[in-house]
Amino acid sequence: MVMLLLGAVAPSLMELGSLMLPLVLGAAAIYLLLPRPVPFPTWWGAGLGTLALVAAGVLWVRPGGQIIENIIFYAFSFIAVVSGTLLISQHNPARAALSFALVILSTCGLFLMLAAPFLMAATIIVYAGAIVVTFLFVLMLAQQAGLSDADMRSREPLFSVVAGFALLGGILYVLHLNYDTEPLDQILARVQLAEHQSNTDDMDAIVKDSKNDLLMQLKVLLRAHGMKTLHADIENTIVWPTAGDGDDKASQLERRREQLAKLKDIVVQARSALARGVPQIQPHASHLEKMSSFSGPSAAVPADELRRDKVSGLPQLPADNAGYLGRSLFTDYLLAVELGGILLLVAVIGAIAIARRQGSVQEKGV
Amino acid sequence: MSALPLHNYLVVGAVLFTLGLIGFLARRNLIILFLSAEMMLQGVSINLAAFGRYRGNLHGQVFILFILTVAACEAGIALALILMLYRKRRSLDVSVWQDLREADQEPTEDEEPLPLPDRVDDLPRLPHAGLEPKHKEETSHV
Repeated sequence: MVMLLLGAVAPSLMELGSLMLPLVLGAAAIYLLLPRPVPFPTWWGAGLGTLALVAAGVLWVRPGGQIIENIIFYAFSFIAVVSGTLLISQHNPARAALSFALVILSTCGLFLMLAAPFLMAATIIVYAGAIVVTFLFVLMLAQQAGLSDADMRSREPLFSVVAGFALLGGILYVLHLNYDTEPLDQILARVQLAEHQSNTDDMDAIVKDSKNDLLMQLKVLLRAHGMKTLHADIENTIVWPTAGDGDDKASQLERRREQLAKLKDIVVQARSALARGVPQIQPHASHLEKMSSFSGPSAAVPADELRRDKVSGLPQLPADNAGYLGRSLFTDYLLAVELGGILLLVAVIGAIAIARRQGSVQEKGV
Repeated sequence: MSALPLHNYLVVGAVLFTLGLIGFLARRNLIILFLSAEMMLQGVSINLAAFGRYRGNLHGQVFILFILTVAACEAGIALALILMLYRKRRSLDVSVWQDLREADQEPTEDEEPLPLPDRVDDLPRLPHAGLEPKHKEETSHV
């Protein structure tokens, strides 16, 4: 049993390689792009960066879903990642501030896709409107000569790039294990391939392949994701008919098709649950029921009972986003709102107190 | 079920976080340091918004609002501090404050030390034309 679980957790070398290749290229690209007194030619870093993005596009992008949603999502993500890279590799801090504004705009696009219009507006106003402008003011006051020598250097470029991308690799690996629908997509493809076969031997070859048995793989995957009910469904309802049962060809084919249909149903359910981020292990419900329903169904409601949109399968959120956000803030999160207000007040007082010039203007060396 | 998988948004959040982390560790200008920290916060915000959306409640968005609040306070105080630091040492370089490090740590040294600024080139050069005007003796205000 341990070996089976281990088989689920440790992916094959190909899978790990396809996950890590864009990361390695990206790490090299950013290492080359970080500012140096004698910089590498820009096109090395830019070329490697493009290669990393292309590799990510080829290896990580999964087809499927609505076209327009995909286009918008990938456009905003691309702009966010490219602007982020520009931010950390520009030697001119004013240009870095403008790249930051571009990062904010693209993340706000993603917020809009995630049904958060109020947050989009608030983020643009606060970050791109206030914080970036304040930074540019400070830059204007503090660095009137333009670029300083320190802008052309990085502290420990190699260590920081390695540390950052090691962290990113770890995070992406864990996300791949828990949220990635790709292994289930592959199993679904195999099931569909088996359905298209016209004789029982071919079907048996696909499903009962000695090197990777479909049912075993699926069961291991479902266990790894914690989908206990679907795993039980497989154990109880799917029985692959053995060859040479003595019945005629047509009924054998029929029985196999029936099993494949049930299997496909289970795989589709598992995949959509994963894609929607439905938590498989329900949390202990009692302390979660104390939240009001103003911010949406409480976390104690099981995933199946949420009201979902028919096309996308996502839970329905109220159209009046700002209104419901306000209600949520003033019921569930009232204490936090008050504390946030006090924090803002203290921050304003603190900023003024810190930045005040001590004494008169004629004092030397202030 | 044809919505974009949750996994995609989480990956974007993680990438932005990492880029911010690298910028924070590698750059020397205080302003860019701070902008990278803000980019890390944006990465986390994307994660929160995605989870909130895919679970069907607004808890994620509320959390992002509080992150926004804290980020705004942090920006105000950080910029005040940056101004004070600039006044003390006339530089936005974070490496001039290396004497604040721990007692047992070695200072980071530049591979190529910063060149000394040439003050000579700042003076204007007048062409030789006609009589030199009388100079008024005045103390320079530096």
